[in-house]
Amino acid sequence: MIGHILHINHVSKHFGGNVAVSDISFSVDEKQIVGLIGPNGAGKTTLFNCITGFIHVTSGDIIFDNKKINKLRPDEVCRMGMARTWQRVKPLGSLTVLENVMIGAFSITNAAREAEEIAIEQLDSVGLTDYAKKTAGSLSIGLKKKLELARVLATRPKMLLLDEICGGLNHTETDGILVIIREVRNKGATIVFIEHDMKAVTAICDWIVVLNSGEKLAEGTPEDITKNPEVIAAYLGGGQNA
Amino acid sequence: MLIAITAGIASVLPIVTGENPYVIGVMISVLMMAALSSAWNILGGYAGQYSFGHAAYFGAGAYTTMILISKFNFNPLVSIVAGIIAACIIALITGSIVFRLRGHYFGLASIAVAEIVRLSALNFDFTGGAQGILLSDVSLWGLDLNSKNPFYYGMLLVLVVTLGITLYLRTSKTGFYLQAIREDQDAAASLGINLSFYKNKALLISAALTSVLGSLYAVYIRFIDTSAVLDLRLSIEIILTAIIGGVGTLWGPVLGAVLLVPLAELLRSNVIGDALVKHGIVSETSGLGVFLKENLAHAHVLVYGIITVLCILYLPKGILGLFRRAK
Ligand SMILES: Nc1ncnc2c1ncn2[C@@H]1O[C@H](COP(=O)(O)OP(=O)(O)OP(=O)(O)O)[C@@H](O)[C@H]1O
Ligand SMILES: [Mg+2]
Repeated sequence: MIGHILHINHVSKHFGGNVAVSDISFSVDEKQIVGLIGPNGAGKTTLFNCITGFIHVTSGDIIFDNKKINKLRPDEVCRMGMARTWQRVKPLGSLTVLENVMIGAFSITNAAREAEEIAIEQLDSVGLTDYAKKTAGSLSIGLKKKLELARVLATRPKMLLLDEICGGLNHTETDGILVIIREVRNKGATIVFIEHDMKAVTAICDWIVVLNSGEKLAEGTPEDITKNPEVIAAYLGGGQNA
Repeated sequence: MLIAITAGIASVLPIVTGENPYVIGVMISVLMMAALSSAWNILGGYAGQYSFGHAAYFGAGAYTTMILISKFNFNPLVSIVAGIIAACIIALITGSIVFRLRGHYFGLASIAVAEIVRLSALNFDFTGGAQGILLSDVSLWGLDLNSKNPFYYGMLLVLVVTLGITLYLRTSKTGFYLQAIREDQDAAASLGINLSFYKNKALLISAALTSVLGSLYAVYIRFIDTSAVLDLRLSIEIILTAIIGGVGTLWGPVLGAVLLVPLAELLRSNVIGDALVKHGIVSETSGLGVFLKENLAHAHVLVYGIITVLCILYLPKGILGLFRRAK
């Protein structure tokens, strides 16, 4: 148990007859960056939704920081120190970029002044300072992804679940995000990272978990996973998931 | 700051206008609708939860106050507080059931709750049923409650308090959280916001302020029945005033009330129809003349409707949005 911050313990999620996540187990060590990969519809986002309380598991347990969290609400999970970003970005469109990040910061402070200070600092760390007064809805997709990141970082999470935070970005933008993620980990956070771009995944992850049709296909170090014949057959070999 | 200046100007207005009771009556209506719409705006404009049943809270204040004063001889201030409690109980029941659900259930449920309250008031004995409640005599601190002035200042005070709360919310954690909920509930929840707690908080603040206005109104008019204080039309007027003025802004609802209430009053009192007839533009006995005389008085709802449609089409941020854009 020591060192494990997150345990996924025989978790299943059924939508009617559709089994989106089927008996999945794995653990995440503190300060690791774990990649969660798999073809479209593999159940990655569904698993994130279960972990963060947006949907509840059909069976199994999710243990975070030595506490069972599968019955908690999303806001309770967040305040325990687990934050997530969204595959389809969810900016608070008519609020400014600064206000978006302040709302994240309000989970650790009640004072507007302090929230603003945290937000300014966080915007600086992702390079959005110039956009602070713009409305969030007006940003490009690349900047919206950065905003998602700044906003969850302002909640000062122990653990960060990133759902395709690099999706739809060009190489420079992706590299920028990867640099930020490494910095966050170096400051002590644990990260689970859903990503289709294998270059990004192997570059940054300590450990990789592969899902396929709701089941766990394999897990291991990036070297192991890229050599695993089953993974290559099911996913990497397909090549249409980039 | 602007609130203080406006309040200052408003507080000397009755003196300037020479205490003409008709004019003060209209100004009281303006202040009341401005405050009602501002109170609605805390929930509808900031938290994005459109209530179509705010008459329920207005009526809760009005009925509680009238029953306590007329039947039990309560002090008016105590009965206003009792009205707040009644409105908050209705709000809590509504909120605790509906806010657990995602989506737009709140709007529907708010109508349902308001109708339940209205039908209850219509059918119970202690609410006076269809007859309503008449208040023959009331007194407080030797104020002349037969004059309109105390109610003018009462409404003004509630409006200032409502705007003050709105201003405070805008710059505080709660206000930020309400706006986050309005923009995207999933994003809000993922950032640690307890959705139902903050929605209930906004609803309670809004309902409490609305009930005070209902209490004031009841003692001012000294007569209430369900069509006066619990009607769906009132709920709709409150919303339209906010939409036309500018939802989710501090001054939008006030602007909406300042423009619409006198307009409605003009139509209701049929000044236009009378003038057209008087100046011989339309003959009194002609079909159009009769139509104007009979129907124009009811036209203010129609006019509200038309203005609202135009606003939604051309000014989605209300009339206040027009000025914002111009800047
Ligand atoms: N709310 C839902 N109701 C019904 N089925 C759902 C729901 N959410 C997800 N699913 C189904 O669960 C399966 C897994 O979907 P999920 O979004 O978790 O995949 P994913 O691995 O994130 O895919 P992608 O890479 O495309 O994002 C899919 O078959 C999907 O249709
Ligand atoms: Mg997904």
